[in-house]
Amino acid sequence: MTTLRQSTQNFGQLAQTSARTILFLLRARAFFVLIALLILFASLAPSFLTPNNLAILSKHVAISAILAIGMTFVVLTGGIDLSVGSVAGLSGMVAGYLLTQGLIINGVAHFPPVALLILITLLVCLAFGLLNGWLVAKAGVAPFIATLGTLYIARGAALLMSNGKTFPNLGGQVARGNTGFTQLGQHALLGLPLPVWIMLALFGLAWTIAVHTPLGRHIYAVGGNERAARLAGIRVPRVKIFTYVASSLCAALVGLIIASQLEAAHPATGESFELNAIAAVVLGGTSLMGGRGSIVGSLIGAFVIGVLSDGLVMLGVSEFWQMVIKGTVIVLAVAVDQLHSRLQTRLLPYLESSSQGPN
Amino acid sequence: MNASADDIVLEARSITKRYPGTVALDDVTFRVHRNQVNVLIGENGAGKSTLMRILAGVESSDLGQIVLEGASIRIRSPREAAEHGISIVHQELSVLSNLDISENIFAGRERVRAVVLLDRKAEDVRSARALETLRMPMPARTLVARLSLGRRQIVEVARTLDQGAKVLILDEPTSALSAAETQSLFQVIADLKHSGVTIIYISHRLHELLHLGDWFTVLRSGRVVGEAPRSEVSRKWIVERMSGRDITQQKERSLPSTNTSPLLEVEGLSLGASGRDQAAQAPLHGVSFRLHRGEILGIYGLLGAGRTELLESIAGARRLYEGIVRLKNSTVDLSSIASAGQHGIVLVPEDRQRDGLIPELSIRENIAIGSLHGILISRADQIARVRKLVEELGIVARNLELPVTSLSGGNQQKVLIARCLMRGPSLLLLDEPTRGVDVGAKEDIYQILRRLASKGIGILFTSSEIEETRALADRALVLCQGRISQEFSRNEITDEALFAAASPVVATTSTPVSGVK
Repeated sequence: MTTLRQSTQNFGQLAQTSARTILFLLRARAFFVLIALLILFASLAPSFLTPNNLAILSKHVAISAILAIGMTFVVLTGGIDLSVGSVAGLSGMVAGYLLTQGLIINGVAHFPPVALLILITLLVCLAFGLLNGWLVAKAGVAPFIATLGTLYIARGAALLMSNGKTFPNLGGQVARGNTGFTQLGQHALLGLPLPVWIMLALFGLAWTIAVHTPLGRHIYAVGGNERAARLAGIRVPRVKIFTYVASSLCAALVGLIIASQLEAAHPATGESFELNAIAAVVLGGTSLMGGRGSIVGSLIGAFVIGVLSDGLVMLGVSEFWQMVIKGTVIVLAVAVDQLHSRLQTRLLPYLESSSQGPN
Repeated sequence: MNASADDIVLEARSITKRYPGTVALDDVTFRVHRNQVNVLIGENGAGKSTLMRILAGVESSDLGQIVLEGASIRIRSPREAAEHGISIVHQELSVLSNLDISENIFAGRERVRAVVLLDRKAEDVRSARALETLRMPMPARTLVARLSLGRRQIVEVARTLDQGAKVLILDEPTSALSAAETQSLFQVIADLKHSGVTIIYISHRLHELLHLGDWFTVLRSGRVVGEAPRSEVSRKWIVERMSGRDITQQKERSLPSTNTSPLLEVEGLSLGASGRDQAAQAPLHGVSFRLHRGEILGIYGLLGAGRTELLESIAGARRLYEGIVRLKNSTVDLSSIASAGQHGIVLVPEDRQRDGLIPELSIRENIAIGSLHGILISRADQIARVRKLVEELGIVARNLELPVTSLSGGNQQKVLIARCLMRGPSLLLLDEPTRGVDVGAKEDIYQILRRLASKGIGILFTSSEIEETRALADRALVLCQGRISQEFSRNEITDEALFAAASPVVATTSTPVSGVK
């Protein structure tokens, strides 16, 4: 009798431990995938782990990670921002225009210094974020449609700025007092490129907001149950507008970084970047239904996508196959996410077996 | 009554609220007595929830004023209501299940340190204290998704406590609770009353109200039709005011003959339980019964008893665990709604907004949608058939091509019944046939169903209202926790007997105060 009870107890404990382990593995899956990819590419391509290559890799990752950080906020509220790629393109063009054409006031071109120029660019993109937020939160337009619209508007605006041409030579001129723009994308600090520092700073800021501020909690609340959030006195429209503004500002930074790296602004820059950002967010375990996910996850997701595409390039996999592989990874990630939430409900009884008695 | 009982803490004075097509509240004055349990009673659609939503700042009234402690106040948002000390626990729980307990208790009013950072420690401490007061200690960091419905409700009450609520509104708090959870909620309410909180309690469960209430206000069709202290209230008093007629009056209908072979035979129907949330499925255990041609069979039960599950199983919408359903002596294939429909079994669902109507389509299209067969639609034929049904059921519509949402609740319900009739059923299933329908339309629908039964259609309906079960059913089955606990013929149906049979064993310890049949 006693042995039987003991063995069932042991079984219960075993079940509980294994349930916990399974769920932990699933929750941290993006991280394990990242490690696996790093090992895979390091063994297949010997030059993969060289400092030179890692520096290039980190620059690529920084671009999609910055976009993914902003996108995470939007997705956490249950929305989506399709306009980030276009806004990034517009951002570069605004900077390019100001650097090469200047602000024309009374027929005279004024060339703003780089700091002011960055500020103006950010403000222009902020306006797009406000527009997205207003459309979604106040006008009641579905996020997909609202940001699809601003995707076209921002892209069109970018093309209009130069009639579709590229703004070259963004180094600036000493005579105009606007040199130094190229530092943003090319300067290195303590061996790390500046864009990587920007990414890390944004990550720290976004993580703090998400985890440690009322605003962050409101974002999760809105995504979890918008009606309940409103009844709790949370100002839902304000929260949503913040997320779209944050996303647009991240996109603006990406546009500036790319223009600075290339020393040129091309109006088509950033096409399909939104898809990479969404993929990173989803890979990181954030639910497109809102309310569940994390900034850390999105950062890891961005790393997975960056490592995957750079690694495949180094292995000489054709561009077409790269797309197939990337798509497969994304679809699998979402399928595993579904499995995760289903397993979670299934395994719940085992997890609670210690805290509550039978019955 | 002692002097404090006449002390009015909050008064809603001459409140009027109109919605397109209906007057939800018509010059309603509701007085809330300090430190008492103020009960607000009324049938579905009587305006109880609307009045409470106005007091809680979720909606605003068209006319009238709210007087708190003798001073007129304006309540424009839930936040403002909370600042005045008025808090509400909504009928549909409004917890954030993706957050933990203390995050829920402080949602929208977070504690902050260093200007911007969350002070989780302070939140956890205060959450624990509030839960302690409610005698329901739980770890503050437990995810709310993991709590039972009863505990989620406790979390909401804890939230209002921490907000310093002086007036706490509980809108049908027990509708989703188990018997044990209901008992502990009653204990909590008694505790709160002693600690100086005024309670407004809404329900249509008479036994609960008579057990708990100190002051009673009855609403019917948006008007106050009765107000009295507990000492003057009896079950008869409430029921007569709620239904607006002398309850001894009953329309008699000749009972159908039960000598013929049954139309429907259900044998050993079982269904597994699943899910934890709103999507939860209550289990059924070996449910068996028969239904004759022309018979109206009512199934009464509390929420979670498995009423909806039983009807949906027979309609082919649930995956059966076990059981056989025979219609006219032949076994029905219940693998899908379509196949059940082909056998002549059709269901009018409980929630007509969610599961019934297609709001984008017109009245005609909503009626005809279930009967479209073949490749091409014969429009003339369709219009003729729809017209006939509209006339038969007395659907009041200016034009059948208007969107279905332009109709009142009662007419929308008739549209759904018409849709089912167009498919020529031999068995009509109705889940809460008059939910959210006004009193006049209710009687209309009863008449329609009686008429259909006299034509030989079998009618099986569920209800959570005793009045309805008594008014409509030729015979009633009571479902309790997935089992049929008792069967009543029409003459045997009384409030007490149905309640007793529907309540799980634990709940019967609080037997209702004896009333009049």
